[in-house]
Amino acid sequence: MTHSLHRRGTDEYLENDFTLLVTAASGINHIGSKEGMIKILEAVWEIGPTNIGSNERGTILSGVTVEQIREGFTKVPRVRCNFATKEKAFAAIKKIKELDTGMSVTLSGPTKETFKMCKEYGIKPHSINLSLDVWGKKDKLPSEEVLELVTMCGHGLVGRPLIEQTMEKVKRGELSPQQATVNIGHLCICGIYNTERAEKLFEKYAPNK
Amino acid sequence: MLIDKEKCSGCGRCLPYCPYYAISMVDDVAVIDQVLCVECGNCIRHRFAKSGEKAIYSASSDSVILKKHYKKVNRCPNNAIYEPLDEIDGTPREVRRFFSNPATSHKLTGVPGRGTEEVKTNDVTGRICRGEIGIAIEMGRPCLGTNFVEVEKVTIALAKLGVEYEHDNPLTHLMEDPIKGTFKEEYKQERVISAIVECRTKLENMETILEAIKEVANELDTVFSLDLICCFDEDGTIPVLSGLEKLGMTPRANAKVNLGMGRPLVISREA
Repeated sequence: MTHSLHRRGTDEYLENDFTLLVTAASGINHIGSKEGMIKILEAVWEIGPTNIGSNERGTILSGVTVEQIREGFTKVPRVRCNFATKEKAFAAIKKIKELDTGMSVTLSGPTKETFKMCKEYGIKPHSINLSLDVWGKKDKLPSEEVLELVTMCGHGLVGRPLIEQTMEKVKRGELSPQQATVNIGHLCICGIYNTERAEKLFEKYAPNK
Repeated sequence: MLIDKEKCSGCGRCLPYCPYYAISMVDDVAVIDQVLCVECGNCIRHRFAKSGEKAIYSASSDSVILKKHYKKVNRCPNNAIYEPLDEIDGTPREVRRFFSNPATSHKLTGVPGRGTEEVKTNDVTGRICRGEIGIAIEMGRPCLGTNFVEVEKVTIALAKLGVEYEHDNPLTHLMEDPIKGTFKEEYKQERVISAIVECRTKLENMETILEAIKEVANELDTVFSLDLICCFDEDGTIPVLSGLEKLGMTPRANAKVNLGMGRPLVISREA
């Protein structure tokens, strides 16, 4: 899931889009990690992510509860979620730091804000995955508006056909921006699709706008 | 994925759920083009939150999280779509599933998804240490997908520069010759949502490799998203930035940062 760093969009939208991934490393520290990961899951849930889920169970947007996500933890557990404000994302990091479980934590989002947070919390970041953009046959790609919605799914499951059809339904007033968000967002099965951002993007197409 | 013609009602509901337009109507029933289908499972996945007028959103939250009144329904009302696992298992086609359906774990690595954990666990795996860079080329993303003929164009180009392909990436296990970057013939026409070419090299090789990647990009019939991983220096600087500037490659404003909270921490490679 390298794609959480390749989210497209304007600064206005990207500045409210933070993906949090907490991961046990298979073969290194995964044994006995479940208890700590449960604490992290419960802590981030309380803070209020816009989406949360797991590959094994699905997401809250597809009707899965946080209890089911917890019960579905494998022997190499992971927490995947998205926050639609930097305040919530940074509150989650602060809490995870306090829990000190030894799990790996990555945050995808605007680096400027992430670095500020690291300084404030006394966090020394280890490594960074930079996006050097898209290359190759770019003339085959859909419009930037479609790409903004496509690239919020880390695994490419929220596809162009459904997004284009959903956009048309919003334009015709057949779906509200909220309904459109659920219509496409539940296809992301790991839980990092930013539903609040999607809703704002769909609002641009609503007939009363 | 296949559709049972006898069960298909011809409603067409499944068509937009395929990210690659593999489902179409033929003689009033839906059929799946087996060349285009990447076995991602989107058309058959039964998790479905009803988005009609009955969808209720959490009133107390600023998000659109559904409260309770979702309804699980099958995407196909007659259960006509099915995954012929017995027919796929053990055949070259099964790689479509491993590289496209994140709910599956690759048999060889046990890691779900298409690559390794890349930067996600780098603080404890030490996959990329100081003085090194990791490059990840996600072939087919966004939107277009890829086959392994396209992937091979990239892996051959980079192999000529002597890169070392990541052992724990499932892609490496499909190679005929990792030194030359060639794939086994039986996999070449298989289509997937994406495949991530991952390699590690010394920091001083960065410019040569990125130039080669820019060049091979012109030969492709698909797209790729390009990642560059490195460790922060002791003083917190990012050592690749000046080299990238020389190449005219500006990193985008959003990135994935490993916060260094994992234990045991690894940042230098032992001699």
